[in-house]
Amino acid sequence: MALTVTRRPRDPERYNARALANRTALLLLSLCAPAALVAFCVDAPALRWVAALAVTTFPVALIALGAARSGRLHGLRGPLLVLWIVLAGSFLALLALPHGGPDVLGIPLALALMLFVLVPVPFVLVCWAYAARFELKDEDLDRLRRFRDGKG
Amino acid sequence: MPILHRPFLVATALLYLLITLLIGVWALRRTRTPRDFWVAGRGMGVLMAGIVTMAAAFSGFVFLGGPGLTYRIGVASLFINLPIGFTSALLGWAVAKRLRLLAEVREVYTIPDALLHRFGSRAASGTAAVAILVGTVSYLGTQLLALGRLLESILGLREMAGPYSLAVGVAIGLAVLLFYSVGGGMVAGVYTDLFQGTLMIASACAVFWYAMKAGGGLSGIAASISGSTAGSPRFGRSLLEPFGRAPVLTALGFYFVFGVGVLGQPHMLHKFLMLKDPRRLRWLPLTLGLAQILCLLIWLGVGLVVPALVAQGRLPALTQPDDAAPLFLLHFVPEIVTGLAVAGILSAIMSTADGFMNIGSAALVRDLPKALGRQVGREMLWGRLATVGVALLAACLAFLYNDLIALLGTFAFGTFAAALAPALAVGLNWKRVTAGAATASIATGTLLNLSLEFLAKQTFFPSLPKPPLPPGALPAAVSLAASFTVLLAVTAWQGRKNPPLPSDIAAVMEV
Repeated sequence: MALTVTRRPRDPERYNARALANRTALLLLSLCAPAALVAFCVDAPALRWVAALAVTTFPVALIALGAARSGRLHGLRGPLLVLWIVLAGSFLALLALPHGGPDVLGIPLALALMLFVLVPVPFVLVCWAYAARFELKDEDLDRLRRFRDGKG
Repeated sequence: MPILHRPFLVATALLYLLITLLIGVWALRRTRTPRDFWVAGRGMGVLMAGIVTMAAAFSGFVFLGGPGLTYRIGVASLFINLPIGFTSALLGWAVAKRLRLLAEVREVYTIPDALLHRFGSRAASGTAAVAILVGTVSYLGTQLLALGRLLESILGLREMAGPYSLAVGVAIGLAVLLFYSVGGGMVAGVYTDLFQGTLMIASACAVFWYAMKAGGGLSGIAASISGSTAGSPRFGRSLLEPFGRAPVLTALGFYFVFGVGVLGQPHMLHKFLMLKDPRRLRWLPLTLGLAQILCLLIWLGVGLVVPALVAQGRLPALTQPDDAAPLFLLHFVPEIVTGLAVAGILSAIMSTADGFMNIGSAALVRDLPKALGRQVGREMLWGRLATVGVALLAACLAFLYNDLIALLGTFAFGTFAAALAPALAVGLNWKRVTAGAATASIATGTLLNLSLEFLAKQTFFPSLPKPPLPPGALPAAVSLAASFTVLLAVTAWQGRKNPPLPSDIAAVMEV
């Protein structure tokens, strides 16, 4: 007898209730907050790496928490992943480069990373993602205004 | 501060003060209701919101303290600025939309108002109001002191008023500020901020161009600094290394406090409540972020070029790091641009100060009475009186402090960050956060930051210990991490079920 596996159709209510994006963001925040606290309170060289990871993951997790609607990121997963890689990767590189690294364009590589990567790349990425994915429908706004008028 | 008493600069400063007064007179006629007084009638467009929020956020610290800090600790100071790549969008996603929509369904004029409606807790909003009042008085005090010093230098008050010159400078600045803030409330605040923010951007761009020209471009500046390994002061390449002149924990702490702590700055968040159409929030990160980046060029340019010019022997070594910007303006910039920059610095200071006067008086007249279950009648009259009271209290406090502008700026920013960022950024986006968790987080952030900062900087009681932190750790970073931890821990401890929320508040959190 052939074994057939049938996938149950996804129940949107149940899927949304899982709030995967929110849960992931909250999990990251729950890890980063105490990690940052310990890293800022204890004098240990290894904890600098933990602090760097925590302070760069923190804003990305907060963005994910704020951007998630019904537990989903609606096309923001990719941009947020890129943002995290740019922030965390740059910070780990800054920590790893001895004395700022070799010169690039007449300035130390670490300074070049700070000036030409850590500010402009996230700025372009998140401003574009925010504008492209911003959603506030007229019917949502009308619904909120009905609450204000006592008709909600 | 070096003497800036030159006829053209005096004329520029007086013209600038006159224009702000005229805007105040115009705004006075347009301020008729408490809604006008506290949130400028909720009529701001998004471009205006970006410039006004930047003007409120960037104080004299950016124009004077920032370049001075770079002179002292090198590019490690730039970790304060690095987060601007994402902070405007972080603000948009985490708080701006929710706050503005909250104002759509409830009467929300202040940040404690927002917390009161979100958590239904007078304890949470009252604790926030206390934190705001404490932070406001110290932030405002710093701004007034900086304003007094600048006017003292520009108007040549030392020759006229002798030992009272600083007090006279503060009094002149305060009089102008009070005139337009008391009369025109937030209507005057936002229109003067728009004027001031535009001046700040124009002057920052112009001064940055002259800085690069004077130093021979970024590579020329770097070569001069790296080559200064003999004589005094010796800068060397370490000034250009991210952790060359400051501990790693300091740099990371700057990034954390100014990157995440921005979510708790009431003078910035307050501006989002004034947007006319919440749908225009789509463009807020772009306008705000661009305005911030352009304005911070002055910090980057002057902060790097002054050590290079000192290394080249074209400027004397600075005795006060905060003199970096004024000295550069006096010696390397045409007088007309110096005039623009002086107006820009005055703008930076006054635009931050007027915002704080408004939220400080709102905390006294609106937020604290509400937290105690009372409502103040004739809110606009008492609001105006409270504005005067808050400003005078801050001015008195300013004379008791004698520290670097940069350090005081960090102190107040850190208090707001630790107190308010977790409750707002997580509380507005996660229904399970309870009023108890929010209150505990706000109280922890405020008390911990005040205690750690006091222990770190106080010299009144020699027997008191220094805070038990590793070298370079910022009290504000510790407090911010602690208040987030407390919020998440108390929320987890208080149960797994979502606390009941009014349907309109729940709807705001779902949109």
